Order: sequence, then C-alpha cells, then structure tokens
Amino acid sequence: MSMLLLSLKALLSHYWRYPWQALFLLVGLCAGVGLWSAVQVINSHARASYEQANQVLGTQAHFWIRAANGTGVSTQDYTALRRLGFREVYPVVQGIITTATNQRIPLIATDPIVLPAEVLQTNTSTVAFNDLAFIQPPYQAWFPPDLANELNLTANTRVLLKNGQTLPPAILQTQAQQGRQVLLDIAPALKALQRSTLSYLAVTPLSSERQTQLEQALPPHLRLIPNRQSLDLTQLTQSLHTQLTAMSLLSFAVGLFIVFNAVRFSLWYRRPTLRTLRLIGVSVQTLMLAIGLETVIWSIVGSSLGLLIGYGLSQILLPAMSASLQSLYGANIGSHIILQPTTVLLAWLLTLGGLIIALALPLWQQLRLPVLPSHSLSTYWLTDQRTRRYLLLAAIGLSILALVLYPLISTLIQGFILLGIVLLAGAWALPSLLALSLTLLERLLPKHSFQGRWLIRDGWAQLPALRTAMMALLLALTANLGVEALVGSFRTALSDWLEQRLSSDLYVQGSSSFDLATLRANPSTATWLKAVNERTQVTLRYQDQPLVLRGLDHSAPDTQELGITQALPQTINLWRNLDTQQNWVLANEQLHFLGSKQIGEKLELQTPQGLKPFTIAAFVHDYGNPYYQLYIPNRVLKTYWPQPEPWNISLWLNNPSDLPKAEQALLNAGAKAGDWTVQQTIKAASMKIFERTFAMTAAINSLTLWVAGIALLAALMAILQERLPEFAQWRALGVNTREQWLVMSVPLLLWASITWLVALPLGALLSWLLIHKLNVMAFGWSMPLLWSMRPAGVLALMTLGVIAITLVVVAWQLKRQLPQTLARLGGQL
Amino acid sequence: MRIRWLCLLLCWSAISLAESATQEVYQVLRQDASGYAAVTPHRTFNFPADHSPHPDYRIEWWYITANLTDPEGKPWGIQWTLFRQSLTPKPILNGWESNQMWMAHAALSTPNGYFPAQRFARGGIGQASVEAQPFAAWLDDWAWQSHSANPFPSILKFTVADWELTFELNSDKPWVLQGDQGYNQKSAGNQASYYYSQPHISITGTATRQGKSTPLTGTAWLDREWSSQPLAPNQQGWDWFSLHFKDGYALMVYQLRHTDGKHWLSGSWITPAGISQTLKAEDIVLTPQTSQTIEVLKQGQPLRLTLPLAWTLELPKLNKRWQISTPYPQQWMAAQFPYWEGVVEVDGGKNGMGYMELTGY
Repeated sequence: MSMLLLSLKALLSHYWRYPWQALFLLVGLCAGVGLWSAVQVINSHARASYEQANQVLGTQAHFWIRAANGTGVSTQDYTALRRLGFREVYPVVQGIITTATNQRIPLIATDPIVLPAEVLQTNTSTVAFNDLAFIQPPYQAWFPPDLANELNLTANTRVLLKNGQTLPPAILQTQAQQGRQVLLDIAPALKALQRSTLSYLAVTPLSSERQTQLEQALPPHLRLIPNRQSLDLTQLTQSLHTQLTAMSLLSFAVGLFIVFNAVRFSLWYRRPTLRTLRLIGVSVQTLMLAIGLETVIWSIVGSSLGLLIGYGLSQILLPAMSASLQSLYGANIGSHIILQPTTVLLAWLLTLGGLIIALALPLWQQLRLPVLPSHSLSTYWLTDQRTRRYLLLAAIGLSILALVLYPLISTLIQGFILLGIVLLAGAWALPSLLALSLTLLERLLPKHSFQGRWLIRDGWAQLPALRTAMMALLLALTANLGVEALVGSFRTALSDWLEQRLSSDLYVQGSSSFDLATLRANPSTATWLKAVNERTQVTLRYQDQPLVLRGLDHSAPDTQELGITQALPQTINLWRNLDTQQNWVLANEQLHFLGSKQIGEKLELQTPQGLKPFTIAAFVHDYGNPYYQLYIPNRVLKTYWPQPEPWNISLWLNNPSDLPKAEQALLNAGAKAGDWTVQQTIKAASMKIFERTFAMTAAINSLTLWVAGIALLAALMAILQERLPEFAQWRALGVNTREQWLVMSVPLLLWASITWLVALPLGALLSWLLIHKLNVMAFGWSMPLLWSMRPAGVLALMTLGVIAITLVVVAWQLKRQLPQTLARLGGQL
Repeated sequence: MRIRWLCLLLCWSAISLAESATQEVYQVLRQDASGYAAVTPHRTFNFPADHSPHPDYRIEWWYITANLTDPEGKPWGIQWTLFRQSLTPKPILNGWESNQMWMAHAALSTPNGYFPAQRFARGGIGQASVEAQPFAAWLDDWAWQSHSANPFPSILKFTVADWELTFELNSDKPWVLQGDQGYNQKSAGNQASYYYSQPHISITGTATRQGKSTPLTGTAWLDREWSSQPLAPNQQGWDWFSLHFKDGYALMVYQLRHTDGKHWLSGSWITPAGISQTLKAEDIVLTPQTSQTIEVLKQGQPLRLTLPLAWTLELPKLNKRWQISTPYPQQWMAAQFPYWEGVVEVDGGKNGMGYMELTGY
C-alpha cells in the first residue's frame, strides 16, 4: 500500500516540476467537459422547462378551454363557468406586443386572485405577489431579467407600445415559470393588446367525472382540449437538442485530443521516474494502479472545473437559446439554471473514460519498454511509424464503413454517428498525409542542401508530437467550415424564401378588429390597393403532432410564388383552380421529410363532417415551421371548416408611396395602430430568429477552434521542453537563430497548410452531410449547398494566427530557458 | 353592529402573503377615508335599494349566520358572508379594471366537525356581485338568490369541503336599523358605519355529503353594513354576539376592545315582532368567564391560542342575565386572516342559541 502511495506521490511530483503540463492537461479536460456540460445543462434545462410548459405561474393546466373558431373566450363564458362551480378554471391572456421601437415581446396575463391556491388549511401559494399593486392601477409588468436586459429596461420604466399604449411600470424579477415573457394582470394586458377576449381558460387536473361535467357545461362554441404542450415541445425540439449535443460532443472530442497529447507528454517526461521506480522494485501492476489513481484524481479535478466553466458558459449561451426556442417553438425557458446530478456524474464518467482512452495507448507503449534505456528516440520513431500505419488502416476502414452506412441512416442520431465516423476517418488519415507531405518535400528539396536535409529529418522528429495537435486542428477546422457552409447556405435560402413569401407591403394581424369588407367597400381603396391575401387557419392533429391548415387566397401574388420544391405540373394547376373533387393541398416539406408523405398521397383529416381525404399536390419550402402545414385555398377550406381562425391579411400597394394612405385606410376600417406590420419589420424579425438559432452553434464552433489552437500550443510547448537540451546543443554547435527558426517553423507551417487543405474537402463533405442529411432529418427542410471560400480564407488566417502566437510563446520560452540549459549542458560536459 | 373588519382585510392580505404583522393589517382599516363617501348620521334608508352595493363606501358586507338543528336535536350552524371592497375611492364597476374586490367566507359547524372555506374574486366581470332585481348575491357558485327585489324568500346555496348546502330563507319581519336609525357609531371619534339587520329569518334546508343528506331547520340572522373608515387607532379587536332566545326575542351585543381597557359597548334588544331597542354601553355588562386553549392555524402556522369561549352577559335595566358558552370550541375560521366564529348556547341551550365572533386574539 505504502509502495502504491509512494509511487503515486513520485508520479504526481512531476506536475510540480512542470506546472504547464498540469495546466495543459487541465485546459484539455476543462475545454472538453466545459463545452459539453454547457450544452447538457442548457438542454436539460430546456427540457425541464417544457415539462413546466403546461403550467401558468406554477399552476398545472391539464386542459385548455378554447374557442372552437380560435377567436378567444369571452369574459361572460368564463364567469358563467365559475358560477357553475368550475373553480378549476382560470383565465389566461397571451399575445405578442410590439414596442414603439419595433421589438416584439411575448406577454402572458392571468387573474392572480383566482389562481387555484387551495384556500383554507394551506399556506402554499403559487405566486408571491407583494401587494395589490399588481392588480390595480398603474399595475405592474413583470419582466424576466433577460428580456429586461434585451430592452435595456430599468425598474419602473414604462414601455411604450407601437399602438400608443404603455405597459405598466416594469418590475424586474425572476418567476420560475414566467419564462421569457412579460407577466401582467388581465386588465392591463387586454388594454395593451387592445383586445376584449381571453386567449383561453386554463384548467387544473380533473377527475374523469368532473371532466364530463365540464364538457357538458361548455357552450357549443367552446372546447375542452387536453394540454399536450410539454409533450409536443419535447418532440418538436428534440432535433435541435440532438444537434447541440452532437456539437458539444465534437468539442469534447477536441478536448480529448489535447488530453491525449498532455498525457502522452507527461508520461514521456516521466520515463526516468518510471524507470527508477521499476528499478527499485515497484511492480508494473503497482505502477499501473498508481497511474490509474492519478487518472481518477485528474478526472475529478478536470470534470469539476469543467462543470464550473460549463455552468458559466450555459449562463452566457442561454439567452440566445431561449430566444430561439421562444421564437421557433413558442417554448418558454425559465432563467434559473440548475446543475443536475446526472450531468455531474455523466461529466465525470466521460472525463474518466476520455482520460483512460488517452492514457491506454501511451501507457501500454511505455510499460512495454525495457526497464533499461535503449535507443529510445529511434524506438519512439519506429513506434510512431507503426501507429501512423495503424491509424491510416483504421481511417480506411472507417471510410468504408461510412460508405456502407450512408444509404442506411434514417434517424438524426445515426446521422451524427456517420458524421463522427467521417470526421474521425479524416483525422486518423491525417498523420500519414503529413508524413507523405514531408517525404514529397524531401524529394523536392535539392539533395546537396545540408540545411534542407536537416530540416526534413528534424520534421520527422517533430511529427510524433505534432500529429495529435494537427488532428485536433483538422477536426476544428472541418467542423468550422462545415457549419459555416450550413449557416451561409441557410441564410441565403431563408432570405430568398422570405423575399418570395413576404412580397406584400403590409400585414394585418388576424386578431385585429380590422374589417376587410369595409376597406373594400371604400371606393378610394382601389387607388392604392393592388392585391389582398386573407389567411386563415385550422389546427388539427395528424400522426399525433400538431398540423396547421393554412387557408389562402389562391390568386394572391404570394400564393402564386410559393417556393415549390416538388410538384406535378397538372396537379398544382388543379390546386390553383380549386378542384374540390380531389381536395388538393400543398404541404410543407416537413410533411415529406418528417412525416414521410409523397406527392399524390392522400391524408385523412378530421373535419366537422368526419374524416375526409386530402391529396398532396406539391411540397413547398417552409423554413422555421416546427409543425406540419397544409395550404388550402380559402374557398375549399371553408367548405369543410366554415369558421376558420383568422390568421393575417396581406396587402399589396400599387406604389410604396401609398403607405400613409393605406395606413389611414386601415384605421378607418377598424384597425388600431400596432395591428399591422410593414414587410421589412417581419423580415428583419424572421432573420433575427435564425441568426439567434445559429448563434449558439457558431459560438460552440468558434470555441472549438480556440480549443484546437490551445492543443497546438500545448503540443509545441511540450516539444520545446523536450528538445531544449537539443536546442542548446545546436547553439553550442554554432547554429544561429534564423536557422533554428527555419527548422522549427517550416514543418509546422507545412503541416498546418496540409491540415487546412485537407479540411477543405472534408468540410465540404461535412456541410453536404449536414445540409442534405442531418438538417432534413432534424428540421425537415431542404436547401441548396452554397460553398464559399471566404470562411476557408478566414480560417487559414486564424490558423496562421494561432501558429504565430504559439511561435511567439515558444520563442519567449526559448529565450528565457536557453541560457540555463546551455549552462546545464556545459556542466554536463 | 357586526364589525367583521378584520375579515375585510383579507381582501388586502389575500395577495399579500408577506404581510403577517397584525398591526400592519389593522392599519389598512384605520386608513384615512378621504375620497370615499363619509358615514354621517340621519341617513334615510331605502329598501330594497339599500340591499344593493354602495360602492362609494370603502367596505361593505352581506353576513348570514344561522343556528340549525338536525333530526336528533343536535346543534348545527352556518356562516355565509360576502364582502365588498373599493380598492380606490372612485368606483369602477365594470370590466377587468374594476376596483371592486370581493371576498367570501363560509363555514359549516356540525356535531362532528367544523368546515370553513374562503374565496376571492374581482368585481366588474360578473364572477361576484350583488344585484338588486331580482336580489342576488354571489361569488362563483356560492349564491344567495331571491325571486324578487326583496332578499326573502330566497335560496342560499354553497359548498364547503365535500358538503353541499342548500337552504330556503324566509322572513316577513321589519328590518332592524341598528344604532341611531342605522347610524352605528364605533368610537368617540369619527368611526361609524351604516348598519341594519334581519334577526328573524326562518331557515330550512339540507347538508349533503357523499350522497347522504341531513335535514336542518332553525333561525338565521342577516347583517348588512357599510363604511369607509371603520376602526379607531386604539381598537385591538372585538367580541360580538347575536342571540336568538326561545321566547322569540333576539339580542345583538358587541364590544370593541380598547387598548386602555375602556371598551366600546353597544347592542340592540329586539322583540319577536322585530321592534328594536338600542342598548348603550351602560346597559350592557359583558364579562369573560373561562378561557380555553385550542389548536389553530394562523397564516398557515399551527399554534395554540387561548380564547374566552364562555361569557356572562347582563342587561341590568332589563333584569336579564345569561351564560354564553359554545358546544364546539373548534370553530376557528382559518382564513388568511383568521378569527373565531361559531355556534354558542345561551344557558347551555336552555334559553336560546346564537353566534359569537372573537377577533384580534
């Protein structure tokens, strides 16, 4: 036992002597664990928030009562239910308000007085309202901190709205279930939204007997709907979370490369220690146990620090994430992040696993070495050559596996596994490519050049130490290029699509009191109004997921321009010609890719007259829509659903300068300021949502690149330490600084260039897989791949930057340590 | 006079969980009444119009208590109270922005237990209100409904715990204007209220639980009161009694306990025909007898509280003297602002039954 402890102590003492090695090991561990756990924390936090999605202010809403035609629930209907004794029912108003500065804020309101906190004999309450200020003028508007920050709000500020109303004085606080929305009392909320009806009534858990009673008590225009929000959100957002997890695992892998390097070097440095320990009689088993213990210690320290960093990172990344989830899926994410025990345990196990993998090979190599020193450098070199060969063979094997797997993948997780295999194959083939480049360079250089030969030979000596760092760099560069191409392609596709979709000049909200008939009846309207598209909607469930039926004016300009991806020419004309024989519908791509529907296929939909078949005439692009959606001409829609929910009305102007005239006409037709939005605002808001969604991916991505940079620095530092005596000898032999730098930097630059070159096709392959496979499987939308050399150029500069920084650090270290080493060398002589 | 001021504070404390100091809560009742209508003497009461709300005044209530008997002759009791409060002086009666706040308390006292409940609602949306034509007072499904503008005959329906209660109320006796023709002074200062009662209400009905109905019959008492500034700074709480005697007479007596021990006493002696005689402080001798310690909940916290649950009540000029005690000590209204209110017996039930309210303990 004491032998084990002594060995452990001897092994650990190394890090006191070389603290930078401990530092790099920690950096690797922290980088890997940190990024991974940040994503884990965010994902599990978001999922927990979906669980709470069916809660309003901590109260379980197991059911909703909604108007059958989607128009909202009247106060009279609500109080009628209360007077019948249904105290399980409480009112909710939800909506989006537009500020005077064109920011859109989600808003939720309820009547705190009737929130079901069971009355007597309990001291539990759902909300700690401070006083009646919440429910009486001037009221209060509770802002969650991230929303307040976004709006630069200070306490008691009153936000001015576009419709001329002001919100009550802002109270900045954190309400667990408030999410990213402003909480108000119903009275000021109705005023701010300029509405008179409640959005829905929330209902607490009901016994089946009570449910029947409530259903019987409901007037025909109201429906009791089970609240499936959390289930739906979990399903809908799964892809996004899987994507983020995959990104974080990539970071973990890059972190692991650093760890691998650090562990290798630390073992290499401790060869004398290991040898001495074995010479004084410590068995291989005891040594392995001691190294195992050291691994456990590192894993605990590394994962703890990594988790701390991850927690901090998640705090930084969460606002962007919750904004995305809110915009895309309507999911409200609270701002209280909790580190779950499972995340902590998993982080530790991953770290331990990673360390063991990183340790296994070098340890095996190390302990197989004879106790007495031999020609260690050549042994090392030979080992490296062998390792390179094994890696190349493994890479070829993986490439074949990827080719075989490619046609078989059908789920997102399988897709990411394929992506991992491709990346790993690329990384493992890299050392052989680097060696090949050196061989080719050797051929190119004049044979008689002494310096050239020296340079090449020295390159061979550096290769074993640098190849791992280059592999990490390759992974980071590839991932960056791939994601850049994905984001770039998506931005272009989305922007073009929005251009088509948002061709009208004005959009009037469906909930507005605006009356289109009044507008049309006015003779002066014809002077400015070019076209109108009145959109309606009906929400159903299909394949146990929400399905939206969007009613359109089939002759409107934007309907003519729907971004069609697949269609049979005659069927699309039938759709436009209102062929009611077949009930032709246009479906979004999501229904094709995620719902596995084909052109010409029939969907059986539940209409008020029973199940009716609808045939898919074409698929259209529908970026950002998490739901299945069908497009039906209004006239056809209304034959089955006579009272669809109004969605919005688009207006095209004859001339952009007619805008003031049009706005005045809208006011005259009953609309209120804030009820309509001009095209640019919607387009900007849509783009912002997607920028935010990908900001998270981009952030993780660039962090990965920095981690790779650190890996490179760590490797070079290790080489420097290792070779300091050698450099000292060179100096003693009269090699000047320029020559020394040439020898050191040329192979490095050569390999960085090769790595960058390899990253280009690999990045293209990655982006191709991301766009054509993973994105389609994750979100159900397709787009053309756009490859641009600009990100590649930027990455080349960044890599050069990292190398430059590394060389500067190395130069500084060399300058500091060389005299000392020279002195030591002199002493040895 | 029925000074359930404390209960009204619930309107404030319902959503004021942080608020726990009793004195703080009292302060609300001592607030300046400026902006609200003032209570002045010589008001002419107008029925049935005065059964409706008076939103210019800060607070108001419709308060029913009843002593009931089951077929075995055991005493039961009910309390059903609807409180209105104007949160700000200028009344806003309609819509979600209404400043009218409603609260209701209900309780059932049975030989096998006491069942209290409390509810809140905002005014203006129809969830709670009092209407004149026909008379109706309700909060959610707790409802007191007449067929005419007169509150009697009427049906009172409510639920507490798993009990469903339905009663028919009837009275043909005149309204009793308390104090000086309905002007009810509560201190030597400005504190006063408008106060009238109907002490002679016959009540029959059923209490149903798990499908089993118990027929109940007895006498109920209705109090109507409204004010804008009801409590003086030196008043801590009150002890209030409404008694029905076997010979058909009825009595209301209260004392507002002053910090200096010089309590404010008032009351009325009502004949079987409904003719009342106002009792002044010198006409009433109210003496606590034995105190009893009971387990109660205050702001959700369990604690032991000692209450004067037995009293001697004397009216020397009328040569009357009674012992008041309760058969059910556990009638603690554990509402957010709690008090004791429940069935009491006059001379062990031999001479009558009644209701007692003890607050500020």
